[in-house]
Amino acid sequence: MAVPVSPAVDGSGPARPVRARHFVRLKLRVTANNFRGQGWRIALFVFGAFFGLWFAVGGFFLFAAPGLAGNDQYAILAAALGGGLVALGWLILPLVFFGVDETLDPARFALLPLTRRTLVTGLAAAALVSVPTVAVLLALFGLVVTAALLGGWLAGLVAVLGVLSGLLLCVAGSRALTSAFASMLRSRRVRDLAAVLLAVLAALLGPVQIALTASLRDADWDRLAGVARVVGWTPLGAPWSAGIEVAQGRAWAALAKLLITWVTVAGLLLWWSRSLESAMVGTATAGPAPARRGPTGGAVAQLFPRPLGWLGRTRFGALTARECRYWWRDARRRANLITLAVVGVFVPVMVNFGGSGVAFDSEQGFSGLGSASPVLVSLSMVFVGVLAAVTLANQFGFDGSAYAANVVAGISGRLELQARMAAFSIYVVPMLGAIAVIVVLVLGEPGWIGLTLGSLLATYGGGLAVNTFLSVLGAYSLPETSNPFAMNTGAGVARSFLTLVSMVVSAVTAVPMLVAAVLLGDAWHWLALPVGAAYGVGVALLGAYLAGDVLDRRMPELLATVTPRR
Amino acid sequence: MTEEHPALALRGLVKRFDSKVAVAGVDLDVPTGSFYGLLGPNGAGKTTTLSMAVGLLRPDGGQARVLGYDVWADPVRAKQLLGVMPDGVRLFDRLSGAELLAYHGLLRGMDPAVVDRRAAELLDVLALGDAGRTLVVDYSAGMKKKIGLACALLHGPRLLVLDEPFEAVDPVSAALIRDILHRYVTGGGTVVFSSHVMEVVERLCSHVAILADGTIKRVGTLDEVRAGRALEDVFVEVVGGRTATGEELAWLSR
Repeated sequence: MAVPVSPAVDGSGPARPVRARHFVRLKLRVTANNFRGQGWRIALFVFGAFFGLWFAVGGFFLFAAPGLAGNDQYAILAAALGGGLVALGWLILPLVFFGVDETLDPARFALLPLTRRTLVTGLAAAALVSVPTVAVLLALFGLVVTAALLGGWLAGLVAVLGVLSGLLLCVAGSRALTSAFASMLRSRRVRDLAAVLLAVLAALLGPVQIALTASLRDADWDRLAGVARVVGWTPLGAPWSAGIEVAQGRAWAALAKLLITWVTVAGLLLWWSRSLESAMVGTATAGPAPARRGPTGGAVAQLFPRPLGWLGRTRFGALTARECRYWWRDARRRANLITLAVVGVFVPVMVNFGGSGVAFDSEQGFSGLGSASPVLVSLSMVFVGVLAAVTLANQFGFDGSAYAANVVAGISGRLELQARMAAFSIYVVPMLGAIAVIVVLVLGEPGWIGLTLGSLLATYGGGLAVNTFLSVLGAYSLPETSNPFAMNTGAGVARSFLTLVSMVVSAVTAVPMLVAAVLLGDAWHWLALPVGAAYGVGVALLGAYLAGDVLDRRMPELLATVTPRR
Repeated sequence: MTEEHPALALRGLVKRFDSKVAVAGVDLDVPTGSFYGLLGPNGAGKTTTLSMAVGLLRPDGGQARVLGYDVWADPVRAKQLLGVMPDGVRLFDRLSGAELLAYHGLLRGMDPAVVDRRAAELLDVLALGDAGRTLVVDYSAGMKKKIGLACALLHGPRLLVLDEPFEAVDPVSAALIRDILHRYVTGGGTVVFSSHVMEVVERLCSHVAILADGTIKRVGTLDEVRAGRALEDVFVEVVGGRTATGEELAWLSR
């Protein structure tokens, strides 16, 4: 039954080229299919799109304002500093909060005969098709209006080019960064790298803070414009300010800035394509772990990490020990912990330095720091506590379908939640203690240790309660990829929204602490620690008690929501 | 009182996903001490049925009883008697084999000394002792099935529910799993497992049910269902398979 085969006719001839639009269409199709039969997802998407549009319109007028007002001076400010901030946020926020939309997981293309070039352009094009990109693009077109009003149609045209290139830079940069970060966290040397990263960030704190406070103190527009001009020449600010340069009659500068942008984009794409390769082969490159030998003691003794030997050999003990192991062994959870440690130190120090109007003068050095107010310190501690607790907002999503083991064993909801809180706290409470110590030492106010630690513990406890509820009611599944920043299609809006809600509600639970800080004055410095700790523990336990009831009633439903769809 | 009850009794189990009916009213009685095979093609509703029977998926209607205890009304009692190995569900695979067993044992409220003893024995019998402290995520597919089985057996359940225990398992491991299950049934336990591998079912099972399109098509002892024919023939006839005529896919041959 040999049929004569003519290659040209039956489609086995030369393959038709794959273009970027195929990736875009694929992404749209996958997104649409994800909405099928999931009303709440559509609702969230619409909500997110509406929100994005709202911000976009606001941003548009902000960026267009210098042009509408005919003000040359502020144009460069808005373009370089405003645009630079957007770019910076675009690069950093995914790492800290939102994760990267991996609708098109690079690993899925590993078996297809595609060149790296096709893949990178395709994935980049697909990444451009999203609500945030459209919203930011819309907002940044305000710059085009500014440039056109100030310098005519040519300036406007250059601005369009600049904004488009800048957006490309943002997308390529964030992809390259998360991709590199992901493979870094996957590697077995992660501990060392994390330590290095922390050290580098800590070292950066000094100079950044000095520059920031200096510019804030003077707060005169000339200096700010000077900073803006400098930022305008970095890749972060170059694309946005190109149009303004034309408007101000410096065509050569505009050309140079566009060149800077394009070279950076090319470099980022190259970097991304490098790390893409390792993302595509996934963990296979790491190979199976070498069989670790020498089990010490029986199975039960192995389950409990040595520092936790004091835990009872009970259900609670087993759950806690397993969670502790997971917070370190699961790359996704570990990434959260490391981020928390970095941001937890970084933000309070920045806020308290920037906001206190600190003067850095050569004679006194940092001695004038006493002006930081207890309320401001409490506020920044509230932020850290909330951020710590929000890590648990999708704690069951981390487990995925493995949670079935607990369902089958019939673990009561309260026990489950208490154990999870306990395990996370074993990591976080010492971390919060360290943060409190660092902050008071840097501020030069060792006496405030009670205040900071008390606020931290109270907020953290309140946040635990809130996020425990959220984790039971608002769980969603995470994709089973090796990228710890990846999340599912359509989950982006949901995730950001839920994170925001939980942060706001958690912050509200800390209001009593803030009120006390305002009302009680000096006495509060010493009452804050015991009261805050008691408040935190009490609220957390209450949360576990109430949410445990809910969990008991919807265990199978929770399991279904955290199980990834395949 | 449990002796009068079947090991597993399903009554009118129904599950709909959106508009699609996955399981359309399954009734099943699994006698105590039987080795029960649940046969069905892909997508017949085997996993859905078993998930509802063990408390992992809430049914839209119907009842599931384990030795007389309702899985959904009295889950604590029912789940104590149950050992489950789900398919397509991850284990807590960032633990080593021994750690995973210890976790499951303590989760079941067992005495730590007993957990240690049984875990060591299970790891030895299932030839997983060599893996040492390798994480389960780095295990091969066959090893994962074996450690899953060990987790289900650890607390000495009266009823063992296994979803596709022989899928992706090499012949050596499969023989080992068969032996262990056989011993378990001889010792008075009851096994329900799903499969679409005819030879395994014919070799092991005392009872068989064929599930297709969410309903039970044939049920009874192995001999009743076979009625003198090969099980595969009965299965294909019941399910309504089609055989290739040779006209289509001509381009496959050169």
